[in-house]
Amino acid sequence: MGVAAIDVVSLSKTFRDLSGTIHALGPVSFQVNAGTFTCLLGPTGCGKTTLLRIIAGLDSPDEGHIALSPGQGTRNPVVGYVFQQGALFPWMTVRANIEFPLRAAGVERDSRAEKVQRMLEMVELEGFASSYPHQLSGGMQQRTALARSLVREPDVLLLDEPFSSLDTRTSQLLQGKLRELWQDRKTTVLFVTHNIEEAVYLAGEVLVLGHRPGRITRTQSIRLTEPRDRLSADFTGYLFNLRQTFEELI
Amino acid sequence: MKRDRASGGWLSRLPGLILPLLLLLWWGFATGGRETLLPSPGEVFSVLIHPFTDLMATGSLSWNITVSFIRIMLGFSLAVLAGVPLGMLMGASRHVRSLLSIMVEMARPLSAIALLPLSIIIFKATTLSQFIGLGHLRYQRHMLNELQLGMIFILFWGGVFPIILGTMQGVRSVRRLHLEAAHVLGARRGFVFRHVMLPSALPDIFHGLRLGIGRCWMVIIAAEMLPGTNSGIGYLIRYSYQMSRYDIMLACLVVVAIVGAVLSKGLEALGERSLVLRSRER
Repeated sequence: MGVAAIDVVSLSKTFRDLSGTIHALGPVSFQVNAGTFTCLLGPTGCGKTTLLRIIAGLDSPDEGHIALSPGQGTRNPVVGYVFQQGALFPWMTVRANIEFPLRAAGVERDSRAEKVQRMLEMVELEGFASSYPHQLSGGMQQRTALARSLVREPDVLLLDEPFSSLDTRTSQLLQGKLRELWQDRKTTVLFVTHNIEEAVYLAGEVLVLGHRPGRITRTQSIRLTEPRDRLSADFTGYLFNLRQTFEELI
Repeated sequence: MKRDRASGGWLSRLPGLILPLLLLLWWGFATGGRETLLPSPGEVFSVLIHPFTDLMATGSLSWNITVSFIRIMLGFSLAVLAGVPLGMLMGASRHVRSLLSIMVEMARPLSAIALLPLSIIIFKATTLSQFIGLGHLRYQRHMLNELQLGMIFILFWGGVFPIILGTMQGVRSVRRLHLEAAHVLGARRGFVFRHVMLPSALPDIFHGLRLGIGRCWMVIIAAEMLPGTNSGIGYLIRYSYQMSRYDIMLACLVVVAIVGAVLSKGLEALGERSLVLRSRER
């Protein structure tokens, strides 16, 4: 076993919406090892986004706690986060959006330009550096958002259904891209999705989050030959297996 | 980048001139060929086309406009310098808002005219030249002698509230998603303030600026009622009325209307880009 990059300890959260319905999460406990790709799979409304937001520090839990570590060393880990809807700043160009975290961190101009350029090449948006988000397709917007979250070279990357609003083809292309990136860098990734196929394609380990109160009901390691083939027997095997678990949940 | 609006250039603005032209026509008919109290368009026009002729020993039309313009710009600039940061603080912090909002709401309905006596008591007739220690200019016809602190105060008062409220509104309507994005991307409060809240609020800030500068042009008339004033377009309107020179008075009104519209349109054009970018988000 490696070092835990994300350590979630008996986390729980309760809140009610306007109609008075109570949504509850947890108590949930799990660990994500440094350098692994983990998918948090669960049906809509099971609290997986809430869980990810708490890990990112956007929400606070009622109970329990989170520890993030960079894998090695004791410095504070850099965290990247990708929202379901890009959350790009509409008044900034693609370049300025990607540059934003570097400027916020006080990185010098020359070094910023170089890093942004590398990111633009990586997500293949060099030709659109001066475009504004509204001029881009949904897939390009999510690529920009991905580049923006990766530009600081995060130790932990959190993604909240980043491809769910895209068409299947674009979504699969970006899944391939993300997996390539991960294989290059071995960043710790926690990816939230309700799409079983997406989880099987991307993850080394799938955590299935059950319904109300949300808690981990199953942990499934995915062992497939690389590059992963969606049509292979092993792939579909995992798919059907997880689908069964999923249906029992709902 | 594609031009999103304003396509067709100045030609598309032509319909806006129909109503002013009709008004002019009606005015011409109403005053033509007989003795009327109000002058005809032609008489007013002849004042307008001689902007450098001295009018009743108050200086020329262009001098008076320039004086008013500089007064307004001083008052308006101070209103921007105070109003935008204040509005941003009030928009961003509940504490600042609860500290200041009652004060602002109480101060806002006090019209500039209502403040005239107070302004006289506080600032007397001190001019900018006296204030910055150039009192010896007093006996020359110098721009600095025309800029009275009381006026600048009244203009500031007239302009600052729309700016505060517009900015506050803009900051409060910054999308939560953008704030959260900035947060997870590692931006600190000050950075978020400058690089997320400010640009995001820009369309509303510009809206406030437009209202503010419009208010300044209204208030200039009040500001130039201060004793000791003998220049400026507001002064000229009052003085030409007292002298029964209605041609000059109407010429002044036309000029105020045009300059005011140009400034407002200019600010609109400046803010247009930020508005388009914000409204295009998806």
